[in-house]
Amino acid sequence: MSNKTGSTPPPLPFGGTGGTPPPLPPGIGPGSPQDVPPEPGTFPVDPATLPKAIRDEVLAPDPVAIDTASEELKDGQNHCPKCGATDIRQRPGTDLLICLYCRNEWHGEGVEEAFGLGEGLDTLSGTIVASGAQAIAADASHLMSFKCTGCGAEVTVNTESNMTARCHWCRHVFGVNEQVANGAVPDAVLPFRIKKDDAVARIRQFVGKRRMFALKEFKEQFTPENVVGVYMPYMIVDGRASAEVSGHGEIKTREYTRGTGNNKKTYYDADVYAVRRAVDFTVDDLPLESSRERSKLDTKVNTNNIINTILPFDTKNAVKWNASYLSGFSSEKRDTDVEALRPRLEDQLLSIARHQVEPSVSRYDRGVRWEEESLDVHGTRWVAMYLPVWLYSYQQPGSGMLHYIAVNGRTGETMGSVPVQHWKLLLAALTTGTFIEAIVIALLLGSN
Amino acid sequence: MSDDNGAWLLALGPAGAAALYWAIYRYYRNTDKSHAFERETAVDAKPVTGSDRQTGDVKGVRNSRISGDNVKAYRQRVKRVS
Repeated sequence: MSNKTGSTPPPLPFGGTGGTPPPLPPGIGPGSPQDVPPEPGTFPVDPATLPKAIRDEVLAPDPVAIDTASEELKDGQNHCPKCGATDIRQRPGTDLLICLYCRNEWHGEGVEEAFGLGEGLDTLSGTIVASGAQAIAADASHLMSFKCTGCGAEVTVNTESNMTARCHWCRHVFGVNEQVANGAVPDAVLPFRIKKDDAVARIRQFVGKRRMFALKEFKEQFTPENVVGVYMPYMIVDGRASAEVSGHGEIKTREYTRGTGNNKKTYYDADVYAVRRAVDFTVDDLPLESSRERSKLDTKVNTNNIINTILPFDTKNAVKWNASYLSGFSSEKRDTDVEALRPRLEDQLLSIARHQVEPSVSRYDRGVRWEEESLDVHGTRWVAMYLPVWLYSYQQPGSGMLHYIAVNGRTGETMGSVPVQHWKLLLAALTTGTFIEAIVIALLLGSN
Repeated sequence: MSDDNGAWLLALGPAGAAALYWAIYRYYRNTDKSHAFERETAVDAKPVTGSDRQTGDVKGVRNSRISGDNVKAYRQRVKRVS
């Protein structure tokens, strides 16, 4: 599908499903990661009990995430609508495109309105796959060549990392707009709104809160100006599903102690119930990584969970694909199909269902042990989208672990992994432990 | 204070050291963070339905929660029946 013309967009094609999905590489799919993340801004130990220096670091303000409001979006083309020039870029900090020749500015077309993506969630059925999210052909090349219409030269674009190129003879700019079957061209793009200076400041602030125990080499080589703007490939999924869970819950009826002195023990009596819960729900714009490398979330070997954490984006404001938005930024290519992502979607839908039913079992004050769960996905809608991420990376010497600090290019949400100077942290922990131990021994000696 | 309780208190030092190490390590490396899709996705759910049936009772147990309590571990998968 091409969006070179400004006419009415074609309806979403309906992709067929069937067959068994291919096996997932390790780290993808159910179980990565298993732990529900803590609430933002929480710290496992009460900061008031920490030494002042550490407490100051922990309590320093986090980079603020802004709320992006939806804007009215209009029509967009790859040629400047005013003068026809192709030297078009995104105006930094806005969703506007600007013609560098005549300074004309304009908006891309909103993908929500163009495809009606926000509608019909209640009646969603089957699998709807937008044209940019369709299966990747095995033989599709990531190198694409164009014949320059200006001078006839051959221009090659490597879609692994770039979506635009300039003809080195006549300075004409090319963007990859045709949806070829190599997964490089998505349906929509969400332009950067956070500018580079802003991203640098947020990374500085984030690391400023984590200096005391940071690896010495990391601090010495810390240059946040080297942050790179990257468009990451995601599948934005809408879904309608029903889930059912069953298990056992207990309500405490009595609590009492038996024995005296050192043998005092607490006992509980409880009523046991068989509990069953069912819920019908729809989810709107659930983002899933559609790059194989990026979806391997294993904190033992990589820090991809950092990029995962800065989700979600205000995907409602995404505009129809136009390669001009990517000018000056690098991009990663989608290499995962809808069927390969389905197990992960089902896993997340089940987690959402479990979260939804939790308030309904609050009367079980001894908790509930869910034993069986089932999920019926009635309908899903998949849209391939490029989302903007500012990425700072540092490769730790020795272990080779690549540490990311990522800033959400829309909301400014910042998360990162700062390598730790282990001996320093160990020393601080041992000192604290010794201090506590000394107090305990003093207390024991005093009481005896 | 008895000797028994005293021995238990001595574990506070190592426990405090381990807790501090673990807390600061996570604060720097953020290994426990991921996209909280349960909370951060727009979910429109119909009212939850279900049933509760008493099957029996337990008396004199020592644990304060049901064994295998997973009501908050949303991402821990249990047996899938369909």
